[in-house]
Amino acid sequence: MKVEFFYAEGCDNCAAARRELKQAVAAAFRLDADWHELEVVKHLDYAVELGVLSTPAVAIDGVLVFAKLPTVAQLDAELQRRAPPGHGR
Amino acid sequence: MLTIGKLAAQTNTSANTLRFYERQGLVCPTSKGENGYRLYAEDAVKRVHFIRHAQQSGFTLAEIQELLTLQDSASACCSDVRKRAIDKKLMLEAKIKLLKAMSAELDALILNCAHEDHPVDQCPILDALSRAPQSELRS
Repeated sequence: MKVEFFYAEGCDNCAAARRELKQAVAAAFRLDADWHELEVVKHLDYAVELGVLSTPAVAIDGVLVFAKLPTVAQLDAELQRRAPPGHGR
Repeated sequence: MLTIGKLAAQTNTSANTLRFYERQGLVCPTSKGENGYRLYAEDAVKRVHFIRHAQQSGFTLAEIQELLTLQDSASACCSDVRKRAIDKKLMLEAKIKLLKAMSAELDALILNCAHEDHPVDQCPILDALSRAPQSELRS
């Protein structure tokens, strides 16, 4: 699974959330989740293509799943739902 | 102090616009003269310029109110404003994308209508518009 976290440079809220979610995903899914961080201004066209209207936002496998910042539990549940049987936590 | 007429002249707006801004809580007169006329502080000129420039950049009046609040807030920093500007840019780009898709749709309709002398009941543009989009038929 490819997890893409869209953030804005200089946004303290984004930075703190990014660290927390990245750690949670790494702990629960290890190699099953491919974590990417995209600064929204540098990847504006791609963000618009996915429908990102605000940051932070999270896309999974090229689809915008969280238009607003998810909690660790929300992201974890979404990844668990998508994980193949026997993978993830 | 500036009267509403002088403020309007200095900011290239109208008195009606300034009264509208007042109703929205964006620019309020500092006081009213004995004759009941609105009187504005000199810095109202800068505030009105700010509002008009922000409107030209796509911000709504509610968003401009937020920006003005940030400007007056000692705890706010530049990244708070940048975040709002980025969100606005994303929204504008999404609108541009939608408008481009609409324009392409119109291109296709115009191309379909090669016979300008057809009666209106055979107009391919009207015919195409009256059909439900494929995406709606599938759902």
